[in-house]
Amino acid sequence: MGDLTLGVFPSLVGSMSLDFAFKLAEAGIAKGHTVNLWLSGNAVMMAKKGQKQFKDYSHNEKLMKELMGKGMLVTVCEACAEARGYHKEDVPEGMKRASMDWYLAKTVKTDKLLHIGGE
Amino acid sequence: MKLAIFLSDWRRTEESFERLKADKMGVILVGNGIYHAVVKENGKDSPVLSKAGANYFVLADDLTTRGFTAAQVNSKVKIVSYGDIVDLIMNDYEKTAWL
Repeated sequence: MGDLTLGVFPSLVGSMSLDFAFKLAEAGIAKGHTVNLWLSGNAVMMAKKGQKQFKDYSHNEKLMKELMGKGMLVTVCEACAEARGYHKEDVPEGMKRASMDWYLAKTVKTDKLLHIGGE
Repeated sequence: MKLAIFLSDWRRTEESFERLKADKMGVILVGNGIYHAVVKENGKDSPVLSKAGANYFVLADDLTTRGFTAAQVNSKVKIVSYGDIVDLIMNDYEKTAWL
């Protein structure tokens, strides 16, 4: 089994690439891989706990928590979060915040990397 | 190098795509990129499907989300699941690119 890192740099709320990243992460974990998720840009929307789910509206918090419970490591870009007003106390339990250095180091160490851009 | 290219858009990315070269290339159509697998213009396939030697894949979930069925998919393209994409990344290709 390998180490898969997904760097996610999506556009606004409802981003298809963010949804894609979580579904791919779910599949990776189901196959026994270790999955690391780096959330940057507007993906830091996940760094706000207590999100409400609406019908027919993208909602990833529940799946993210389930996957974190199965070992997925989620790290958000600290600067991206602070720039949007998401502070340390807003972060869901288990999620880490770090600078871009963390992601850059991970891109070198991980077995495979998929850097997912915006749309 | 074995390179897997994710195409996530219908327009915008063809020029970058054409410049990419690899010993082994897989093209994975996701999001709005799935239109390359199902739409013909003036009776012709998408130019994306003409890369010599490339293997083509399209994500089943993104096809059905947009109202397409397997019968509408170009014969050059294999329909895959999220799990299949994980296998392609982990087992079949060394590097990935997202366009």
